[in-house]
Amino acid sequence: MFGEDDVVRSHKGRLTLIGNIVIFFFLIIIARLWYLQIYSGKELYRYSIENTLRKETVKAARGMIFSRNNQLLIHNIPRFDAIIIPQYLKNKNASVDKLAQILKMSSKDIKKTLKKNRGQAKYRPVVIKKNISRKEVAIIETENFKMPGVLVHSFISREYSDKEIGGHLLGYISEISQHQLPKYRKRDKFNYKLGDFIGQAGLEEEMDLELRGDDGHEFVRVDARGRVRKHVSGSEIFSDVRNRKAVPGNNLRLTIDRDMQITAYNSLEGKVGSAVAIDVNTGEILTMVSRPSFDPTQFSRGLTTEYWKSLVDNTKNPLRDRTIQEHYSPGSTFKTFTALAALEEGIITKDQKVKCGPTFKLGRRRYHDWNRGGHGLTDVYKSLKRSVDVYFYKIATQLDIDVLARYARKFGFGSKTGIMLPRETSGLIPDREWKKKRYGEDWQLGETLSCSIGQSYILATPLQLAVAYAAIANKGKLYHPYLIREVFKNDGEVVKKFSPKMVSQVNVSEDSLNAIKKGLYQVVNERKGTAWWYRGIGIHMAGKTGTSQVKSMTSKELFSKCEEMPYKDRHHGIFVGYAPADDPKIAVSVVVEHGCHGSSAAAPVVRDVITNYMKKYHPQTYNKFAEEDKKALKEFWKKEKIRKDKIKKAKEKEKLEKEKEQAEKEAEKSEEA
Amino acid sequence: MRFNTSVIFDVFKRYDFSFFGICSTIFFIGILNLYSATQGSPHMASLYKTQLAYFGISLAAGMAVSFFGPKNFYRYAYTFYFINVFLLVIVLVMGHKGMGAQRWLVLGPIRFQPSEIMKLSVVLGLARWWSKHDTDRELGIKELIIPFGICFVPALLIILEPDLGTGLLILLIFFVMAFYRKLKWKTLVIIALIGTISGVVMYNFGLKDYQRRRILTFLDPTADARGSGYNAIQSRIAIGSGQFLGKGWKKSTQASLNYLPENHTDFVFSIFNEEQGFVGALLLISLYIVLFFRFIWLASSVTRLFDAVVSVGLMSIFFWHTFINMGMVMGLMPVVGLPLPLMSYGGSSLVTFGLCCGIATSLSNSRNLF
Repeated sequence: MFGEDDVVRSHKGRLTLIGNIVIFFFLIIIARLWYLQIYSGKELYRYSIENTLRKETVKAARGMIFSRNNQLLIHNIPRFDAIIIPQYLKNKNASVDKLAQILKMSSKDIKKTLKKNRGQAKYRPVVIKKNISRKEVAIIETENFKMPGVLVHSFISREYSDKEIGGHLLGYISEISQHQLPKYRKRDKFNYKLGDFIGQAGLEEEMDLELRGDDGHEFVRVDARGRVRKHVSGSEIFSDVRNRKAVPGNNLRLTIDRDMQITAYNSLEGKVGSAVAIDVNTGEILTMVSRPSFDPTQFSRGLTTEYWKSLVDNTKNPLRDRTIQEHYSPGSTFKTFTALAALEEGIITKDQKVKCGPTFKLGRRRYHDWNRGGHGLTDVYKSLKRSVDVYFYKIATQLDIDVLARYARKFGFGSKTGIMLPRETSGLIPDREWKKKRYGEDWQLGETLSCSIGQSYILATPLQLAVAYAAIANKGKLYHPYLIREVFKNDGEVVKKFSPKMVSQVNVSEDSLNAIKKGLYQVVNERKGTAWWYRGIGIHMAGKTGTSQVKSMTSKELFSKCEEMPYKDRHHGIFVGYAPADDPKIAVSVVVEHGCHGSSAAAPVVRDVITNYMKKYHPQTYNKFAEEDKKALKEFWKKEKIRKDKIKKAKEKEKLEKEKEQAEKEAEKSEEA
Repeated sequence: MRFNTSVIFDVFKRYDFSFFGICSTIFFIGILNLYSATQGSPHMASLYKTQLAYFGISLAAGMAVSFFGPKNFYRYAYTFYFINVFLLVIVLVMGHKGMGAQRWLVLGPIRFQPSEIMKLSVVLGLARWWSKHDTDRELGIKELIIPFGICFVPALLIILEPDLGTGLLILLIFFVMAFYRKLKWKTLVIIALIGTISGVVMYNFGLKDYQRRRILTFLDPTADARGSGYNAIQSRIAIGSGQFLGKGWKKSTQASLNYLPENHTDFVFSIFNEEQGFVGALLLISLYIVLFFRFIWLASSVTRLFDAVVSVGLMSIFFWHTFINMGMVMGLMPVVGLPLPLMSYGGSSLVTFGLCCGIATSLSNSRNLF
């Protein structure tokens, strides 16, 4: 131990220094104390007695959303709440009674609300009534001196220009819920607070971080009644009080066309379903509507219980976005891809004619054609034009399901398109492996037959159908569908720009593709095509009808009238088309739930949307086509007249001959007599 | 029989009551203050009783420790250290399953924060290292590598919890102890320069505004990252409004309005100032300074280097807590959430300070042993 003593002693110098430093540090503390308590004590004392300092949040204005043509789809307007700050409430009963009288509420309810919020700090405002009228605002503001603590809180509300139209696409905002708070804080690394509004669906949800901006705050001095008197900043004691300006959210410019939205929505009047229109050459979504819908404005204004109940109780589920969150059997619209696969795989050639009777027998089971009489000799064009089921059954016996699935997947079926919207469903393209995994059973040939006409397990969303047909129209170029052209600040600075993105070039021969397109053209533009009566004027559309069975049916049920079945059992009507047929620009898919027929229920909606598009974006082409169509129509009716006349004449001739015969007979009789 | 009584008498004659004496005085001032600060809100009104119970526990623990000889501290220094680091790792691993910042470890009915005891373990560990290495020379960068590792590993673990305040505190304690162990002036300047410059540059230029805010939220989720310093301002109003003589005990206006959300833990000093004024604050500060100098004097009067380094380390634990807490309450530095020794509510920290006193007392008692 000897010597260590000396070592310790040698550290004395440092120890003294440490002592001095301790003293020095505490002199700083004491100096600061002196400054606070003696030098500015009086002023701070006044502050403490009056409790005059309040921190107010300055809400950031949420970004606006514009259509592709810069029409406002979502904007913000001021709105008012009646609030009470308990700290300033002097004569509670009198103030509450007075406020109750102004707002036409019962004082009991107000007291209940106050009681509910007793746990929070007293300087925190309690919202008594949301959305008070301007008149109520005026009365409260003037009567304020009689009821200290009662205030009007003004802020910005979100308005959706077209209400229900496109409600699903735009989404809505509402207050962040207790259980969302910790989850979203972690997910976005953003310090959300209770009372914050966040996007809860659609683009509002998907683009929330862009749109929301950043709230600011400012410190204000208030008088004893809680009214703001003065903004504090630059005061000496609070030199480090920093007000923070709110940063407004970024705006979105969509690829959506507002007029087409309205057209599509109105065209779906009285129907349950959805429509998606996509620019064939870029993947820009032009239209995306779903009916029935909801009014997003109602959500941001604080949902009334009646409105919420009406949404939830509606069996047609207005909150569901049918364009991406619902999937259907694509029905005959899927035949396009079966035919393409068959051509590519060499199972058929394009001009090869196949005899198609009314039924196709596989083992003991009979597969019916939709047409009870059958179609006779059919080539690939006719198979699409007349939607010949038996033709595809015959193909299916030679086309392996895994091969069909491969072709379908090439066009984007069976997986999410990745559009920037929440909760997209992926649809389903079955194959052997899937069935084994899902049901533990082997694939049956009969199932391939059903799949070849888009029934059985196959499921697709309207968006997937539109994207796939756009690829057919655009020489196999599969584009990523997108909704937002650019994100920009209020001063116009573009923050983000989105441009067309090709997912893949589908590897099929141009020859096969052209054959398919020719078939799709005939569906609409030739007599006896399934959509011939809905071809419209000036658009030169091509497309495919589809009728998807909701449940499996006996042959008797199958041929009974769809409109007479119970609503839930009626077929879904589907139509997917693109236009103009020789130089496609737009593809549209429409699904009408329980609409019975793809032709009568869905095709008119597609026609309306495309007509609107052509008139607006390609008026010259439209006019040219319209003239041609009108001429053709005239000729058609002329021919029809001739045809009918011929029939008429033939009938008259027959009649005359009969009369003649009879006359002759009578003459003979009279002669005999 | 006579022999026995004389032994007990001897023990008490040798026993140094000064550490426990000063600390108890500060504690009782604190309990009165706590009583006043918590009367505003009904659900906290009985906290002072809990605090008294904690005091009983920490006094018992401290006293018990004071009867161990200093040699035991030396012998088990590394053992304590490694066990404690292990506990920190456990906290981190289990913490990820829970939500938010997980600083607590639950052992049956006992809940405690390993990060609190870690301060002590680091002091003992460093003391043992420095009492055997480089005793004959001044410390340069090369000599600092291992000791820095000793303090950096637990500091990092604690910062990850996340508890930035305690983590940085351990680095500061290391700094004081190294300084005592004759840190070269040149090295000191270099460390200080590198530390400040890299810190300032990183914070001001390396990060964008929103990143900075995110980091703050990440490090302390309870902090109001968007409301820069509302608490701090209210705290300043409370302190200033006390003026020269204070508003008087139980007369605080700021506490009762809940303007200070943490007025029973981190912000006790502002309530004390509001009620006792400048005079009361000076008195309290003097008590703390007496306590610090008691440690310093202990360091100068012991004969073993280990004992001296430990004394300085213990002093620095008390000193940094006191200085940082007072500084943040008065708006001299950011709110990092460190308690004021013996005044703030909280069992873990009280026990830690009790153990510090126990060790110091033990060291002091052993001086008269030969």
